[in-house]
Amino acid sequence: MSHMTNGGLLSVAGLRRLRVMTQKELLQLFRDAALMVFFLYSFTGDIYMAASGVSMQLKNAAIATLDGDRSFASRELASRFQPPYFQPAGSVADARQAIRRLDDGDVMAVLDIPPRFQERLQRGEQVSVQLQVDTSNSVLGFLTSSYGAQIVGKYALEAAAQREGLGAAGGIAGPLVEADTRVWYNPNQNDAWFMGISELLTVVTLFSILLPAAAMVREKERGTIEQLMVTPLTSFQILFPKVVAMTLVILAGSAIALFGVLGPLFQLPMRGSLVSFFLITALYVFTTAGLGLLAATVARNLAQVGMLTVVILMPMLLLSGAWTPIEAMPPWMRGLAWISPLHYFLDAAYGILLKGVGMDLLWDSVLAMSVLGVVVFAAGMRRFSRQFG
Amino acid sequence: MNGQRIVALAWKEWREIIRDRLFFALAFVVPAMLMLLFGFGLTLDVENLPFAVVDYDKTAASRDYAYRFISSRYFAFQGYAADEHDVDALLADNQVRMVLVIPPRFDERLGRGEPAPVQVLIDGTFPERTQTSMGYVAAINSAVSLDNMAHALSRGRGIPLAEARQRVQPVKLEVRYLYNQSVKSIWSLAPKLIMLIMMLSPPFLTAVGVVREKESGSIFNIYSSTVSPGEFLLGKLAPYVAISIANAMFLWLLATWLFGSPFKGDPLFFAFATVLYVICTTGIGLVISMLVQTQVAAMIVASIVSIIPAVLYSGVLLPLPSLSPAASMLAHALPPMYYTNIVVGCFLKAVSWHALWVEVLVLAAYAVGLFGLGYLLFTKRPKA
Repeated sequence: MSHMTNGGLLSVAGLRRLRVMTQKELLQLFRDAALMVFFLYSFTGDIYMAASGVSMQLKNAAIATLDGDRSFASRELASRFQPPYFQPAGSVADARQAIRRLDDGDVMAVLDIPPRFQERLQRGEQVSVQLQVDTSNSVLGFLTSSYGAQIVGKYALEAAAQREGLGAAGGIAGPLVEADTRVWYNPNQNDAWFMGISELLTVVTLFSILLPAAAMVREKERGTIEQLMVTPLTSFQILFPKVVAMTLVILAGSAIALFGVLGPLFQLPMRGSLVSFFLITALYVFTTAGLGLLAATVARNLAQVGMLTVVILMPMLLLSGAWTPIEAMPPWMRGLAWISPLHYFLDAAYGILLKGVGMDLLWDSVLAMSVLGVVVFAAGMRRFSRQFG
Repeated sequence: MNGQRIVALAWKEWREIIRDRLFFALAFVVPAMLMLLFGFGLTLDVENLPFAVVDYDKTAASRDYAYRFISSRYFAFQGYAADEHDVDALLADNQVRMVLVIPPRFDERLGRGEPAPVQVLIDGTFPERTQTSMGYVAAINSAVSLDNMAHALSRGRGIPLAEARQRVQPVKLEVRYLYNQSVKSIWSLAPKLIMLIMMLSPPFLTAVGVVREKESGSIFNIYSSTVSPGEFLLGKLAPYVAISIANAMFLWLLATWLFGSPFKGDPLFFAFATVLYVICTTGIGLVISMLVQTQVAAMIVASIVSIIPAVLYSGVLLPLPSLSPAASMLAHALPPMYYTNIVVGCFLKAVSWHALWVEVLVLAAYAVGLFGLGYLLFTKRPKA
């Protein structure tokens, strides 16, 4: 008798209870109009903004010239700083004006060509030109100096070839090493692909933690959990439908983002199997929802859940490797990245969508995510049963 | 406006916050945790990029050339691969991010004074990292080329190597890094993290704090009392502004002491601008709380509304000049960008009022605008 009413996981009654509870969760979710509006916005407008708005590359960096020579050679050198990387932003009269324009953030760099540049060049002396770079943003500063060095290096080599007679029919002949660089998976360096996928994963993570945790704590806060506890439902039958409902909604959101935004508007290639992408997404949502439920067993009210969500979400985002390459992190942090499910999901998502890899390469990520999911979910269930069992 | 009522409300709110111990603790712990986490973990330096080498030439010259990459701290050598087909799987499985292919006759071509091509395959999944690595590759290649040229010239003309070096490089570029002379990420990052965290935490706290009363129904006590909307908002928000100002000060201490960022500006000016900024971001939380009915919605809206502009449109991670026109407009329409200018100006450039008064003005306008909007949206006679 008691066995029947407790409804084993696979019994007919058990399955029906799961279905009914899932429906209840979905209904509750859909009734929060403001939440649903923002849910939709997160998977469409927000991802569109991230994918379209941002480029991580140096484009059109304003550069001013402090030309102390005003010769043919100095103008030739200055004129080589051109789009796409640079944008000439006029000339400055003296060093003070140069610093002022850099201070104001008006220009990114100032190219300083010394007096008698052409004369000394022709006499065979070595001349130094200076590039002053605003490195308040260190990535940008690095790229500016890197491109600047390439431009000046090329100019210098051509000048040398001309002077020393190394040039062979216009070009430079010599024991040079010439790199033919090929960029794989994203040959045009399309930032929208990287940013779009990264934003999608962030949004999925946010909702996977917050929605189930909030659904749980809301029941605690309002006392409806007590009502559920006096029903024949087991703690699994109370917790699992919440996760199933949120997973369904989040998968739908991801599908909208992929087929409604990233695919048609940004030509995201989606080279691998989409079935495995959605399966892995479901697994990831499940795993991450486990973290949310664990947080929900700690929190007493929604405000606490919110703060705990930030505590969980931010390290996960950071340790995923999307912003900072894992290999550049300090070793102890690299260790932490191995327990962040997002790290595995990121590998899998970029792998499937951009690289077109299959399960033969992704099985380790899937396995790691499953293990994490089971551990976290079991811990959440245990704490929940202790609190209310 | 009755000052006593405002104080009473603020006191009530403060009591409520500190009685919820976990919430109170997290209100202070979260910003500090984020600062430590991002400060230590969010390095934008691209280092230890895992790479493999395919050497078809197998000569001393090709090994020397490969060694330039192997010995660089920017690259982490993972081993030699037999041929190009092996590297497909390595790149696909993220085991390496770059492959250097040295073709046959590398040594022979260089020996004859001809250019020698090499091939570099780079994983383009993370465009910014790809660009940086391409910069490293270009730097190593041009150093190698100059070396080779100098050696060739010195042999050919019978002049000393040092002179040959000078001759092949008639123009030298000296780069002066301004504002952050070591281009160390953490220096320039830590101050901007204050901006980032102060954009995330106050809206969140505030939105949840106000909506909590809506959801639990205790706001009806306010509706039915003599407290005016203005008094309620000031009293309600004062504790959150206070917590956030305390947090901002603590973050400033972390940035200067723990991360060693230089603070070259005027502390008073910086404190003033920071208070303005915190009021702005609290105001964002206020407006959100007026628009939603449930705490879940408040949290989602606060995260989406604040994280995106703070991370993407403030110039922390991404260069502002490279934003698309639409995104650039959005960046200019939101407070984080202005406060970023102030933070960078105060920490790294030692500029003050004369360069930053526009930014301060914009923040002030924002604070007034947001609180005005919150005031207009707040009504003591809700529909339904």
